[in-house]
Amino acid sequence: MEKVTLNETPRRTSKSFGINNYKIEDFELPEVKEFTNVTIDSEIEIEHDTYDFKPKFSIGNKLVNQLNNGNQKLYINIDKNVNEPIVIDFELDDKQNVLIDNVTIKAEEGTNATVILKYKTQNDAVDAFHNGVCNVTAKANSKLKVIILNLLNKNSENYYSMNNKTEENAILEYIIADFGGRRTVTNYYSNLIGNTSNNSVNTMYIGTGTQELDQNYIAEVYGKKANIDIEVYGALKDTAKKNFKGTIDFKTGCKKAIGNENEYCMLLSKTAKSKALPMLLCSEDDVQGNHSNSAGKIDEDKLYYIMARGISKKEAQKLIVKAKFSGVLEKLQDEDLKNELIEEIDKRLV
Amino acid sequence: MAKTQVDDINRSIYNIKNEDNYSYKMQKGLDEKIVREISSMKNEPTWMLECRLKGLEMYNKLEMPTWGPDLSVLNMDEISTYVKPKSELNTSWEDVPEEIKNTFDALGIPEAEKKSLAGVGAQYDSEVVYHSLQEDLLKQGVIYTDFETAVKKYENIVKKYFMKCVPAEDHKFAALHYAVWSGGSFVYVPKGVNVEIPLQSYFRLNSPESGQFEHTLIIVDEGANLHFIEGCSAPKYNKVNLHAGCVELFVKENARLRYSTIENWSKNMLNLNTKKVIVEKNGVMEWVTGSFGSRISMLYPMSILKGDNAKMEYTGISFAGEGQNLDTGLKVVHGAKNTASVVSSKSISKSGGIATFRSNVVVAPNADGSKSNISCESLMLDDWSVSDTIPVSNIGTDDVEFSHEAKIGKISDEAIFYLMSRGLSEEEAKAMIVRGFASPISKELPVEYAAEMNNLINLELEGAIG
Repeated sequence: MEKVTLNETPRRTSKSFGINNYKIEDFELPEVKEFTNVTIDSEIEIEHDTYDFKPKFSIGNKLVNQLNNGNQKLYINIDKNVNEPIVIDFELDDKQNVLIDNVTIKAEEGTNATVILKYKTQNDAVDAFHNGVCNVTAKANSKLKVIILNLLNKNSENYYSMNNKTEENAILEYIIADFGGRRTVTNYYSNLIGNTSNNSVNTMYIGTGTQELDQNYIAEVYGKKANIDIEVYGALKDTAKKNFKGTIDFKTGCKKAIGNENEYCMLLSKTAKSKALPMLLCSEDDVQGNHSNSAGKIDEDKLYYIMARGISKKEAQKLIVKAKFSGVLEKLQDEDLKNELIEEIDKRLV
Repeated sequence: MAKTQVDDINRSIYNIKNEDNYSYKMQKGLDEKIVREISSMKNEPTWMLECRLKGLEMYNKLEMPTWGPDLSVLNMDEISTYVKPKSELNTSWEDVPEEIKNTFDALGIPEAEKKSLAGVGAQYDSEVVYHSLQEDLLKQGVIYTDFETAVKKYENIVKKYFMKCVPAEDHKFAALHYAVWSGGSFVYVPKGVNVEIPLQSYFRLNSPESGQFEHTLIIVDEGANLHFIEGCSAPKYNKVNLHAGCVELFVKENARLRYSTIENWSKNMLNLNTKKVIVEKNGVMEWVTGSFGSRISMLYPMSILKGDNAKMEYTGISFAGEGQNLDTGLKVVHGAKNTASVVSSKSISKSGGIATFRSNVVVAPNADGSKSNISCESLMLDDWSVSDTIPVSNIGTDDVEFSHEAKIGKISDEAIFYLMSRGLSEEEAKAMIVRGFASPISKELPVEYAAEMNNLINLELEGAIG
């Protein structure tokens, strides 16, 4: 076991604020064995190939090195329009409890596709370790939707990196559900290099019990008229802890770029802890940048209104959380998937 | 589209440079000998020397900040920590030596005293040269004096509060401050006394390659009310000067304190100041701050809302021009029930200046019913300046309303076109918008200061309009 420091923010602030990075005292990389519990549903052929992952802002060196020697290597080259979502399902169980996946998605010019990466554990007892990366290049005029579902159990350790580049006119949409893991560390980076490229991220997270989440979202905006939207909604219960760090960095030259960042944290119990650092860095004047974040318990008026209809407080809380998440859920544009996630939310917020 | 040209602040008044005339200037650098020497020159009680040595020990122990502006330009071996001006402490303005008096006259200090201040303190380099307080306030038991006098005359009360709000361990420059502090003000407002007219201290650093380390300690007792104003300036030298003052404020139950600062240090100044308040039950703290000067500023007034229903308001503006890196903001700890904080911060950056807003809001697990609302706006006047917003929140209870919002951008074209359609020229329209942007802050300042601030802004904009 060793100490590691993960998820450094692009700009430091006072050490005493305790948010520059995420420290783990008892970190241990597991032995990487074969992993075969993968189901792929795809119209296009997926190669078992890998590309070196060299992130600009890494989740942590040890984890990045491990990703380059993973037990699942997938290369999805989207060279035509794909009508049905490409679904890749990873299931961790007692035997195959270590997944190190390196997924590369390249959306060729003008293509349109949806990719769903789903991570789950077979049951609540599995002691799983997941370290993954989704490496995306969205070429000019492509339209790509990536859905990342972390439905691991609360025993697992989960480390996840997303690394994106959007070229001219590309539209890259991310929908993320971060529900599992006793420890979930997420590193999201987008390089908006292309003019009028557009990247949106919609995240919902849940932390219950003693779950800890550390999220480090970074977008660097270089392209003119580029657009970045980061929307993060979450609910924390029991003694769960969450650190949200979001940075939009407007680089000189990104004229008329727009960036919005919004984090909303619902605190469902007195002992849950929420930290947030929504950063705006700006070295270009001709931009619009907005950020907001808020935290607090759910509106009591709403709660009592629902309870007055004969619904228990717990159920009423769940309804309100689901209502807050509905914007993200609707973006999935898939009823079955939406229902599956609603079920997960109900199960986790017991 | 042409950009609004905003020139540098006209600093001619502030740049009056007197000859480096002093009765004593400490050798450069910092070691125990120097600390002991300052203490013995001030004829201090032993406990104060012990505080200084503690400060020195912590200074040597603590590391430089690993964040924020680059402070490598600072070399303590080049800084003289103590410069005694050729003047004793005066209570009559006429007795202040001509040269020093002229400087303060040019800055408008005695003029302001006549018109709108209940008391004035003026510090030149390391020592306070002038102090006065209105007769009726004296009668009501209000104490307003320089800090050296307070240490001797009000030893018990100073000993009780000194270093209790800002500990030497706070950070490296707070520790440095305690080692070499000199000058500053002490204010005590007794229970229930309402000081209707503001008190003001003005700090002037004339000596090159030196530091100013004034200590301000203010106690506003139960139910009392005070407005304290602090102004600072210095002429421009090519070598680095250092300001590491420390402000310790105590707002007791039901008391109210407004602390206004207009900081206009010259652009060779490193302003590494520490300010902190402890607010008791039902107390109210208001910070009003305008940061215009200095080469580097790192200043984050901190409020500890210790008693139930304690409140804090922060209204601040910073203006970072050429060669300036102003890293400002605030810290607040909600440590009791139903505490509230409201923050409105604005920044303007231009000509390559860097303006950073940095904050930390902590809501403790016991601070049920607390509310915090933070809003920051940044205006950039060209594309080679920098404006960063780095706000942290740390929420430890569910029964809280916390919200933060920030906006960044340039003057909107729509607003300019609207004003132009009303007959204004483009430049006038832009200038009007910049003034409007700053107006919520200037409204919070006393008239003379609002006028000073508006002058600073107008001067620059006039240069642009021609």
